[in-house]
This record gives sequence, C-alpha cells and structure tokens, in this order.
Amino acid sequence: MQILKDIYALLIGMWTTWKHIFRRPVTIQYPEEKRQPYPRYRARIVLTRDPEGGERCVACQLCSAACPVDCITMQPAEGEGGRRYAAWFRINFSRCIFCGLCAEACPTLAIQMTPDYELCTRDIMDLLYEKEDLLINGCGKDPVYNFYHHAGIAVTQPRGSGGEELSPVDVRGLMP
Amino acid sequence: MPKLIIDDITVEVAEGTTVLEAAHAVDIPVPHFCWHPALGKAGACRVCAVKLLDGPVKGIQMSCMLPAQDGMIVSTTDPEAVAMRRQVIEWLMINHPHDCPVCDEGGECQLQDLTVAGGHSIRRYSGKKRTHVNQDLGPYIEHEMNRCIQCYRCVRFYQEFAGGTDLGVMGSAGRVYFGRFNHGQLQSLFSGNLVDICPTGVFTDKTARFRARYWDYEMAPSVCPGCSLGCNITPLARCRELLKIVARRNDTVNGWFICDRGRFAHSEVNDPQRPRRVLVDGVETGFDEALKALLLRIGEVEEAYGTGSIAIVGSPRLALEAALLLPLLAESAAAGALCYFIDEHEAAVTQAAVTVLETSQSASMSDVGQADCIVILESDLREVGPMMLLAVRQAWKHGAPVFLVGKAAPLEQTACVSVEAITLGFIEEVPFGIFEKPVIICGTKRSPVSDIEYLARAEAKLAFIFNGPDSCGAGLLALEHEGIAFRSAVAAGKIKGVISIEADIPEELLAGIPFVAALDWCSTPAVQSAQIVLPTTAWVEMDGTFINNEGRAQRFRKVMDPGLPVKGFDPACHPPHIHRSVPPGGEARPAWQLVAEIISGLSGEEIRTPFSGKWERLRSLDAESPGTLIHEL
Repeated sequence: MQILKDIYALLIGMWTTWKHIFRRPVTIQYPEEKRQPYPRYRARIVLTRDPEGGERCVACQLCSAACPVDCITMQPAEGEGGRRYAAWFRINFSRCIFCGLCAEACPTLAIQMTPDYELCTRDIMDLLYEKEDLLINGCGKDPVYNFYHHAGIAVTQPRGSGGEELSPVDVRGLMP
Repeated sequence: MPKLIIDDITVEVAEGTTVLEAAHAVDIPVPHFCWHPALGKAGACRVCAVKLLDGPVKGIQMSCMLPAQDGMIVSTTDPEAVAMRRQVIEWLMINHPHDCPVCDEGGECQLQDLTVAGGHSIRRYSGKKRTHVNQDLGPYIEHEMNRCIQCYRCVRFYQEFAGGTDLGVMGSAGRVYFGRFNHGQLQSLFSGNLVDICPTGVFTDKTARFRARYWDYEMAPSVCPGCSLGCNITPLARCRELLKIVARRNDTVNGWFICDRGRFAHSEVNDPQRPRRVLVDGVETGFDEALKALLLRIGEVEEAYGTGSIAIVGSPRLALEAALLLPLLAESAAAGALCYFIDEHEAAVTQAAVTVLETSQSASMSDVGQADCIVILESDLREVGPMMLLAVRQAWKHGAPVFLVGKAAPLEQTACVSVEAITLGFIEEVPFGIFEKPVIICGTKRSPVSDIEYLARAEAKLAFIFNGPDSCGAGLLALEHEGIAFRSAVAAGKIKGVISIEADIPEELLAGIPFVAALDWCSTPAVQSAQIVLPTTAWVEMDGTFINNEGRAQRFRKVMDPGLPVKGFDPACHPPHIHRSVPPGGEARPAWQLVAEIISGLSGEEIRTPFSGKWERLRSLDAESPGTLIHEL
C-alpha cells in the first residue's frame, strides 16, 4: 500500500507547515530590532590600553603567528624608554574568521574581542582596519593588568623595582 | 676507538670524543647550552644530563664533560635523566624575566625551545628574581643581563676564541655578570657573534632591534660580499628590507662565525637612493624601450667614432654569472676594451695571483687555522679580511708562530686578536724549512707583482686577499679573455662609450666619455652620469656565484624580492591599501639576464644559462655545499 504511505508523508509535511503558521517567529526585524549578544561573543577585534593609558600591544607578533587565516600584520618598533610598540598594525576583517586565537595568544591582553558583529560595508577595502581603527581608550575586559610591571625588564619602572624583582646586583661588591 | 651504546644504538667514535658529541654523531639530540661545537665544553649549564646504565661510569653524568669510553651504556630518555634536565631548566628559569614578547630572541631562543621541550610551564618558585644593570655596548649590540643563564659562552668566544680583552665575567655565585668594566662599544672585530652564540637574549642585534620575528624572516643560504674571503651567511629580510645577517656554518671557509663588517655593513641594499628605475636620458621608461635605446646608442657611438670605441666594464663585486657573459658582450658589441678592473696594479696583481692559485697550493681559512707557521705579507687583515685574523688566532693558539712581513703589515692587526707576532723585514728571513704546514697570507693591494711571482716558488700554501667578492673570477676571466684595466683603456684615448656593469668607475675617468650606460644596484658615479640606467638586483635579490680568495666557487640564493622596502614607502604611516603584482622599484633584474638580453639584441644569440664550457659544472652548485674549487673544474 505505497499510496497510503505517500499520503501519510504529505500530511506530516502539511501538519508541520500549519503548526508553524500559528507559532511566534524566531526571526526578528533586523536592523530595526537588534539582539543583545553575550559579553564573550567573538566579533570585532580591538586593541586595548593598560590602566596607565599606554598601548598594551608590544607587537610581539604572536597574534599574527597564531592567526590561521593570516589576517593580522604589524611592524614592531622601538618607542620611548625602550618600549616595544606597533608602528602599524593591520587586521584584514574581510579575511578574519573570528576564531579568537589571536586574543588567546596575546601575552599582554592587548588584543580582545568585542560583541560588535556589525561589520558590513559596501567597499571591501573598508574592512582593512589599521591601528587607529582598532585602538580603544580603555582596558577592555581586564582593568588592572600591565604587562611591563611583571616583565622583569625596566620600561615603565626603574630596574629592579617591578613586581617579583630584587634590586639590581652590585657586581663590584665584595659581600657574599 | 671507544665503542659505546647510546639509546640502543652502537656508536664508535674517535678517542677524546665526549658522550654528547657521540650522541650527536648518530642524530640523538642532547639538550645543551654551554657546549658549542666551536667552543667545546664548560660544564656550566648542567642541562645535558644523561644516565649511564652500565660501564666504567654509572649514574647521572654531564654528557658534555664525559669522554666516551668502551662499554658505556647511555640512556638519554631514562626517567631520572629527564627529570634532572627538567629541574635544571626550572632553576635556570627562576631568575629569567618574563619578557619573551618584547625580547628579540623570542622565536629563535634556545632557552625558550628547551623550556617548552622540557615541559616547564608553571612557575613554582615564589621568591624574587635577581636583576642587573645593563651596559651600553655601542651601536650594534644590545645588552640585557637579566636574561642571562650563566652558560659562559660569550666570554669563552670573546676571550679565548676571538682574543678580545674588553668583555669578561664579574661577580660571583648568583651575581655573575657578563659585560665590560665600563660602558662603551665592544672593541673586538668579531663582537657581533655574541648575538649568534648567546643561547638566550642577553646580546641581541641592535641594528634590527624590534623589527621582526624569526618566523617572519625571508632567508636563504648566502655568501658575504663584504670582502674576498666569501664567508657563508644567512641574510634575514622582511617586507623587502634586509634586516640582519647571521653566520652560516662552513667548516672549510668561515667555520661558525663572521666578522662585524660582514654582519652590520649592509645598508647599501636598503638605501633609498639606490637606482630602482629604468632611465633613458633621465626619463623613466620600461626595460624594453631602454634596451632598444641602448642598442641604438651603441650603433651611434660606433658610427661616430669607429669600431672599438666601446668599453665593457665589469668589476670584482659583479657575480660570476654576469662576469662570464661579458666577453660575449664585448664580442657582439665589437668593443675595444673588456675590463674587469679599474686600476692597472689591481688587474696585474690579481691576474698573477690567480695564475698561482690554479696550481692548487691555495690555503682555505681552515688550512690557516691548522697551520704551524703563519706569515702575513704586506697586508692589514683588519681592513681586507678580518675573518682571516680569527683563523690566524686559532693557528697561534695551537703554537704556530706568526710573522708579519713588510711595511704594510702593522703589528696592531694581530694585537687586536691578542696574538703575539714577530715583525720581519723580508720574507726570506722566515725559516720555512723547519715547518711542515706553513701558510703565507698575502694582500694584493700593496704587494708588487714580483712578490706574487716569488711566492709561487715558496714552499708554503698561499692565501691571497683580494679586493672584492668575485675578484678571483674576474681575474680568471681577464686572464682568459685578455682583459685590460679600464684606466689604461681610457688612457689610450679611443674609448668613447662605456657600458658599466656593476663597476665602481671613478668620476674623473668618466669625464671625457660622451656615452655611458650603467647596469647597477649601487648609486655609483657611473649611474649618476649615465644616459641609460638599468637597475639590477642586489646580491640578496638573486641567485648567483662568487669565487672567493681561495678559488672556491660558492652559490648564494635569492633571499627577497627586489623593490622599495615597505618601511621607506610611506614613513608617516602603514603600507598603502592598493593591489599591485610588482612592488614599486621591483622591476630590477639580475645583471646577467640584462647582459644576455643586450647580447641577443646585438647578435641574435639567445643565452639560457651563463655557464658553458668548463664552467658547466657550476650550474648545479648547491648553496649549502662547501663549494667547488675552480682548479678542480
């Protein structure tokens, strides 16, 4: 009785259709209506600053090394007091897959992901974000961390006065 | 010959070999910091611990300090040895700063590699770290003593191997400090090797400070163009900019090290003034138009002044490929002069020396290092070939006396590598008879040709020091094709047109010449005054060959693409947002390809490879091989 089976299948399909006609829709009227993503949503990347206001990024190139699609490029340079910083820093968002490996690799918590997912543009070149587009005036998700206070070299403080450091050795001293 | 078993592999090694070297001989990696193939052992770092299961010695031992003996059964993977090495790494990390992200060694750091390999990832020690005050070691080397792990490699190289006196160890116990007594530039000619030799980031290259990471570098095996010794190097480039140069091992040539000049003097490649555009009468055009114009002008000059009024000028810095094509170019342009050298004296001495070299009594730098008597004749090696001094020091350390002969061989040159030399007035005073392996090092700048002819009869191996990286090749070709010095060609008065192929022609020689065409990558006087400029690629931007002072042909490989460095592009900001298949200034081609195109335009002959005849064997020369001696061709 193949014909009965076929009619049954049709009815099942119709039943599903009719059931959904009377349900509340899951879609919303974007862009008039917007959803609130979770705080740890992975979308547009930003570069944050440390609590003293300095750039957290030291251009160590770990994010560009970790990036599976090679969308991050930068040029490290030496700034005042031997501070390493990015002379230019570029993220190609047309290539980015928002996997978050860069933020995970970042040893200074500079690169962080925000919930801002609205990245559409008409020109693909507008998705090439330079440092001035990425850098924000704030600490992002960690309000206290400053890499240089724990690095063990003197950039933001005199030698030997950082966290977990003894004062410098006197190599000409005779004390044991 | 002791026979031992390492990780179930039986090894037979020479007497006096250490267990660590025996393990390396069969490709069993044993971690190490203080041991270095060129410097030997110190037993300072304790990280090469292995366990001896049976034999004359038992238990945990430092493999670098233990001579291999018969019947030893060694395990590198024994849990006890692994635990020992892990703990050593952990204690070395107790004082090491947490600054890998801002350290230039990060990514190429032996300590970083071994820390990861040893599995140490979480700090258990809660005490404070010792710190040091750094020193200003001059414009080339950055000092960061906090990172030191006390392996003593730096002072062992600096004092014992290179004979430097101004870097040493101070302090004791946990306060050991490696530096100078006061701030100041390191005086040794070989101080740059501290960068290569430090297993962590205490000494880093200041000229390339904060520029790139190891995984971003473009690199290839290459040969230093700084002098005629042909030391093997690896240039490191990024974004079309040559950032730094590190030594590459070649036991017959430079060993493990290079001199500071070879390492740091490479600014010409990145020079923003470098000729990068094709110019005809000062107007930028394409290669095809410029080549057409060049053929036309060659015809015009010959029409106006008769055949033989064109001179083809090469140089000792021109790679062998292009130098080999110059005779063909001279023939097809009906040139009146084929010149590989500018000065008569340099041409004569180089050709005489090359004739002597062909009889195969040339000494390599490793021969110099093993000699039992060294004579330095009429040359200041600090100027013309510093690496030779390092080889001289190795011979002197083994007991070879060093004689300085001639007015142009100052005593200061050997003093700078802490070698005590004996000054003599004449080479006849050297008692060659009592030595087995004497070597004469002869400069060619000030030696008369008669000296060279005298040396050909000497009972010693010879090491000539020439002017440029391919002087030997240029000398050979000049000899074979009857090249003359450019100065004498101009003096004869017939030359009215010059095609300069990477030649350093002084301004006064170009003054009376109506037509000049220059193929070059350096901004030379010829390029400044040329009507036609064809940019060629620098040595890092092409494959090529140099024949060094010993007559050893060595291949160098292309490191990066030609073009304006990204850095010089737009100094205010980032690279521009445009797509191009060729970077600006990236049209430059290797000199030999341009010469081949001129030849095919003149005579219709297509040249696919510059190597023909006896040179054919150089076609497949491997850049990572020790090189091929020309008298074996």
